[in-house]
Amino acid sequence: MFIFTLRRFNLFFFTMLLLTILSFSLSFLFPGEQLVNLTGQINATPEQLAVLANEYQHQAGFITQYFSYVSHLFHGDMGYSMASHLPVATEILNRLPATIELTSVALLVAMFVGIPIGFFAAIYHRKTPDNIILGVAMIGYSVPVFWLGILAILVFSIQLGWLPSAGQISLLFEIEHVTGLQLIDILLSDSPYKWQAFIDATRHLILPVIVVALAPATIFMRLARTAMLEVLETHYIKAAKAKGLTFWQIIYRHAMRNAFIKVIRDVGLQFANLVTIAMVTEVIFSWPGIGRWLIESIYQRDYTAIQGGLIVLSTFIFIVHIIIDFVYAALNPLAREPRHGA
Amino acid sequence: MARDKIYQEEEFPTPLMQLWHNFKQPPVVVIGFGCFLFLIVLAILSSLITPYSPIENHLNDLLLPPAWSNDGNVSFLLGTDNLGRDMLSRLIHGTSLTFGLSIIVVMASLIIGVIIGSLAALTKGVKSSFLNHFLDVILSIPSLLLAIVIVAILGPGLENTLWAIIMVLIPQFVHITRNAVKEEFTKDYVLASRLDGANSFRILRYSVFPNIIEKLISQATLAQSAAILDIAALGFLGLGAPIPMPEWGAMLANGIDLFYIAPWTVYLPGLAILFSVIATNLVGEGMRHALKVRKEN
Repeated sequence: MFIFTLRRFNLFFFTMLLLTILSFSLSFLFPGEQLVNLTGQINATPEQLAVLANEYQHQAGFITQYFSYVSHLFHGDMGYSMASHLPVATEILNRLPATIELTSVALLVAMFVGIPIGFFAAIYHRKTPDNIILGVAMIGYSVPVFWLGILAILVFSIQLGWLPSAGQISLLFEIEHVTGLQLIDILLSDSPYKWQAFIDATRHLILPVIVVALAPATIFMRLARTAMLEVLETHYIKAAKAKGLTFWQIIYRHAMRNAFIKVIRDVGLQFANLVTIAMVTEVIFSWPGIGRWLIESIYQRDYTAIQGGLIVLSTFIFIVHIIIDFVYAALNPLAREPRHGA
Repeated sequence: MARDKIYQEEEFPTPLMQLWHNFKQPPVVVIGFGCFLFLIVLAILSSLITPYSPIENHLNDLLLPPAWSNDGNVSFLLGTDNLGRDMLSRLIHGTSLTFGLSIIVVMASLIIGVIIGSLAALTKGVKSSFLNHFLDVILSIPSLLLAIVIVAILGPGLENTLWAIIMVLIPQFVHITRNAVKEEFTKDYVLASRLDGANSFRILRYSVFPNIIEKLISQATLAQSAAILDIAALGFLGLGAPIPMPEWGAMLANGIDLFYIAPWTVYLPGLAILFSVIATNLVGEGMRHALKVRKEN
């Protein structure tokens, strides 16, 4: 387990190194002055620029410059947004929780819906349910997400009027900003309308979550189906059959657990894909998250914001990746320790 | 006992022929492949078969619904948009933009990726391990975010988004080529030709590539469905094709404001994207199925 942790830590370190190098080199690649891109001070006087140049060791070689950039990052200083003139770190802190909320709920929904359906398809392999599920899955991951979002708004918000179409919560509710995660903040607050606010926030969450979760859910469906089919072919399932267990006993006690582990291993890889979908969905549903902010930053040529957003969003994905790796290791002893006698 | 072989000669179909033989078995795949070919024909012939120019305005026929509705006009089969442009012509021209360009994008990144990947497979040690980690990092950044960063460097516009998508797709081809080449290099037939005195490049060209090409094609179909969705998404976000261009994503973005009064301006481009992605995915699915069947035999 120690070696496993050390390896993950090593990977994380290396990734962060590459990411910061990438983001640092972006300040040279973006149009305009490199120092201005890095700090976001577009209206700085020559004196202020001189101070900044000194601070970022602009006269020294690239490597020194890079290290001073990294030390700024460690102090939470990502420069100032060119559009709003607020510190990028503050802007991100205000918006990242909304994205975390949307993506993590969507990931859970996708897993809890997709994986059981995939198992179901595998159990009825090459029968009608399997074919129907495969067909639906094919459509599910082929649908362009922006189109799906617009259709969902048209049908469920405008024509049927069941669910709100934009934002995170109705403006009537005033919720104190504690963790930034809306649902948790509401539960922590002592407002008399706590439950109404909670229900309202949940209603706002439903449509975007379904839109984000659809494509990953269909991918999990396929992963789960393949994993289950593989497991059903193994010898220990045959042994269980020979022991005289019924089919459903085998499925519940042996096949499901082992297939589930195989799916969990691939969940991390799908998360980057899910975040991509979430970025577009945030634009459509006016979700106050980091994806919408990043896309707006392009329209406004806010290069400092793009650099900061790239680092933070990628780090978030990596952390989720690593968490899923640990969950996988916790569930599967074979991943933790080298196999004995192998 | 049934005789499988009537003739004496032994025939060894090339890996590509074997793939085709297994590929055309399931009927769904053939339908998908037919749709795929149909889209390619549309993309090539788009300017010949469209009734109108995609940017021609018919000011007397604004927001005409499709011909099957009561207010429709049969000379505008799928209706017109808010500037009186014929939807059918725009959709067909869009085929050559969204679908046709996605093929070019995938080809370009396939070639670059295969070159880098085979070079990477031939190197060992620190360089190779660095490249591996680097690819892992790039692959785990969301593709749209990477495309956005590249668009921010190059500036918006259709051509720049294409470059961005090419760069986004390269790592997966590098990854798959590298793994496939490494796997083939451990096999005996490569050793045999090495003992014959072939150098690495000759082995790559004559022994390895014919055996991994189907893996590459199967990855290319996956990449193409992603490319179609990415081109359309960037067009929709206003970072790709400029508004008058009949790119499907940009058309969709143009139709949003009119969704209520003219829903077909949103339905049709979306359906076109869905159709082309499903056709591509069916081809890819058939390809992977054929590969699996071949492996089992």
